[in-house]
Amino acid sequence: METWKEFDANELTHSAAHHLLAIHELGEQYGGWARVSDIARQLGITRGSVSINLRGLKKRGLVETDEHHMVRLSVEGERYVAGLTAKKAAVQAFLTDVLNVSALQAEIDSCKIEHLVSEETLERLNEFLVKWRTQERTVVTR
Amino acid sequence: MADTGADGGHTMNPKRTEIVEELNRLMAEELEGFLRYFQMRYRLKGIDRLAADKFFSHAHEETLEHAEDIAKQIRSLGETPRLNIHLSAGGGPTTLTEALQETLAVEQQALDAYKEMLPRVVGDPVLEDFIRKQISTETEHVQEIKTLLG
Repeated sequence: METWKEFDANELTHSAAHHLLAIHELGEQYGGWARVSDIARQLGITRGSVSINLRGLKKRGLVETDEHHMVRLSVEGERYVAGLTAKKAAVQAFLTDVLNVSALQAEIDSCKIEHLVSEETLERLNEFLVKWRTQERTVVTR
Repeated sequence: MADTGADGGHTMNPKRTEIVEELNRLMAEELEGFLRYFQMRYRLKGIDRLAADKFFSHAHEETLEHAEDIAKQIRSLGETPRLNIHLSAGGGPTTLTEALQETLAVEQQALDAYKEMLPRVVGDPVLEDFIRKQISTETEHVQEIKTLLG
């Protein structure tokens, strides 16, 4: 199988995933709504870039905008963010608890991987973590 | 608003630092627009390119002029312009309508950014006048694009 092509088949790019996460985080303070300027600041990019990226997310039905140019996640967007958060948590737990990777590195690496992990892998990873914790296996030492 | 000292020069204060940061962000918006419009001219093909080349050439030049004007404002505040751009402008060939919609999204954000900047500079004769002019220009751009989109 030409695995490298799987990267192109991903639902969203890393950048797009971070736009959704930023909207989710910022929206927690304002009833789900976020301002483009705040998203731009959080991501360290221009408002123009955010605006263009949001067009793609809107077309996919992941975000909604209002007449004041405020943005919020759609139901589908919320679902995607929930999945992303679960994947990041599972990968992070695997890296820190099983592989004994430092918390900071685990945070960085899980962030890079989160949007690439499939639902099947997430499920199996969580199953593994439950079993691993129950059996109290020794962590990988360095 | 920037404070002015007895000699008419600007004095340092936290508010001014914020204004300079905001001007740097506005400059980045304009320069990113400059690069986007440059690319947009080559993403359009055939009759679309013929129809819109002048529009995007003009927009391309104007965004650079705006960036220059902002850089001069930063310099007049005694600071050096700082540019922070992370741009990856992908995208293959596009239609005129798509190009204009993308342009509208960028111009609308520039307009909103200038509008949000205005309350911070009210009372500073130079900066207030500059931001008001920018709002006027960007409003015209947004209206023009909306008209073109029908």
